[in-house]
Amino acid sequence: MTGNTAEAEDLTQEAFLQLFRKIATFRGESAFSTWLHRLAVNVVLMHLRKKGLPEVSLEESMEPQQEDGPRKDVGTRDNVLAGSIDRVNLERAVESLPPGYRIIFVLHDVEGYEHNEIAEMMGCSIGNSKSQLHKARMKLRDLLKQSKAEKAANRR
Amino acid sequence: MTCAEFQKALPYIIDGGGSEEEQEHLRTCPVCSDLVADLRYIADVAKLLVPMEDPHPRVWQGIEKKLDSEHLAKPARRNV
Repeated sequence: MTGNTAEAEDLTQEAFLQLFRKIATFRGESAFSTWLHRLAVNVVLMHLRKKGLPEVSLEESMEPQQEDGPRKDVGTRDNVLAGSIDRVNLERAVESLPPGYRIIFVLHDVEGYEHNEIAEMMGCSIGNSKSQLHKARMKLRDLLKQSKAEKAANRR
Repeated sequence: MTCAEFQKALPYIIDGGGSEEEQEHLRTCPVCSDLVADLRYIADVAKLLVPMEDPHPRVWQGIEKKLDSEHLAKPARRNV
């Protein structure tokens, strides 16, 4: 979620401390793993806010937003990405995502949480979770296509 | 249905569902079908990013140290 190993280690420690401090507040209304994950996500969000980083989508997306409009490539056909992504490129692209997009993408596509679970963790609606995931994937698509084009240009 | 209309609905239908009209558009529009293929591919390869290793031992040592300093955890029992 942080895109940075050192930060992730620090925040993991903080999340476990928060767990011990707040364990008495767990009421069993959700799965313990969901509660713990929510706690961890909140630790990450607090950290991002302290750094003054734009979350882009998380809080701003609590209300439904108008999309940016149709894709600029509507009406043209791009080369598809299938088979062209490796772990290194994907990792770089995910690290470049705005933090809000990155968190949703990691929770859903990497860690496999469902939208209802993410909505509970993030305090947003299922619709917002889907919308932000879509924006994250679209942004990744742009980044990966750019990377692919740059590689092709360098080969010439 | 236009591509703009389809793409507006896409966040909510990409993992299944969608009206007959939306499914028809996906079947017949090469631009949108390429887009959906890319997004699904990205979702699939995301599994590559699942952590392959546990956190470094220093993480757990740091946690233990802080728990001790804040008296948040009982000391481990020793078997007699």
